[in-house]
Amino acid sequence: MKKNDILLSRKPLHILEKIKENLERLNEKMEVMIEIQRHDKKELQAFPDASLDVMTLLSMPDHLRKTAMTICRCGRATAQEIAQHTKRARAVESAYLNQLVLMGYLKKERIGRKAYFFIDRDNQE
Amino acid sequence: MKKIIAVHSYKGGTGKTSLSVNLAASLAKRGRKVAILDLDFRAPSLFSILKMEKSTVWLNDYLNGASTISKILQKTNGKVVSNGKLFAGLANPATEAIRDMSAKDRKWEMRALGRLLSLRNSLLKEQDFDYILFDTSPGLQYSSINAIVAADLVVVATTCDRSDVDGTSRMLRELYNLFEKKTGVVLNKVLDANLNSKKEELNKRIKDVYQVPLLGLVPCFCELLKAQGNLIFVQDRPNHPFTKIMDEIAIRIEKDEI
Repeated sequence: MKKNDILLSRKPLHILEKIKENLERLNEKMEVMIEIQRHDKKELQAFPDASLDVMTLLSMPDHLRKTAMTICRCGRATAQEIAQHTKRARAVESAYLNQLVLMGYLKKERIGRKAYFFIDRDNQE
Repeated sequence: MKKIIAVHSYKGGTGKTSLSVNLAASLAKRGRKVAILDLDFRAPSLFSILKMEKSTVWLNDYLNGASTISKILQKTNGKVVSNGKLFAGLANPATEAIRDMSAKDRKWEMRALGRLLSLRNSLLKEQDFDYILFDTSPGLQYSSINAIVAADLVVVATTCDRSDVDGTSRMLRELYNLFEKKTGVVLNKVLDANLNSKKEELNKRIKDVYQVPLLGLVPCFCELLKAQGNLIFVQDRPNHPFTKIMDEIAIRIEKDEI
């Protein structure tokens, strides 16, 4: 098979992967929107440079505290990994984690298809 | 099973440090590798109880990010537990250090929580410790809540004092429940604790008021007061009833009977 043929055969697969990736991102955003509707919108108020200390944990609503406590323990994790600890659905944890990102308590990093959430303790000087 | 245990109380003077040290010594006596850390930065006392006044390394430096936990932990000089199984991380008693630790902001406390949480990896996993005990300061101090969040089990030392009972029950309800922490209560300095009727009454009252399991009931021993903090009973008085109670609590913790 010529080089051009190989590239052509890979292209549709590549496009499909891109579509899937974009759909996953869209899905996460929709989960956040659903959560905004479900809970009080005030919870989602963003605080630039917010610190996830124990007093902040105490003042959080129960559903977010559970997720935040788990990420505190895990350090760096995907929604799937957090869901294994909290025994809640991955989609639910994904929504809560994204809420915590919006609120400024967590950072999110995407590596390939996986999104990793973590507390950026070192950069919060 | 490896564990991080925080020993906490609502009020001061409930016997928290004595409980922490003797529990740590009891676990070490049973062949476990134990680290006891003094997180009471406002009133450090572990250095004095363990007779390690000449220490030059302090847990403050670890939490400040100026040192590693391996450099901070020191072997204790115990007799019974002298096989190198009990290590201590001491809080700096210098006035300047106490003032410095009292003036930390939320961001520092957040990083301190991260450093306490990382002990699970550095001590329990990498250095093969079996237990880490946090001796905390009483009440709702930042350092104490950090310790509670980082722990697997919280042992609450309390007395029959009315204000202690009220405060402890509120603390359990409004703090511990929110963090979903496994908790056990040790009722300390109990008068007439050897009477069976008294034991039953206290057991029932603990269940009703605190709604957490009773880990141990410690009578008020005059010998403890007379020792004036010079003795670690588990080590120095192996046959004393107080030592037996500490050993029973240690066994319950080991068997995860909470």
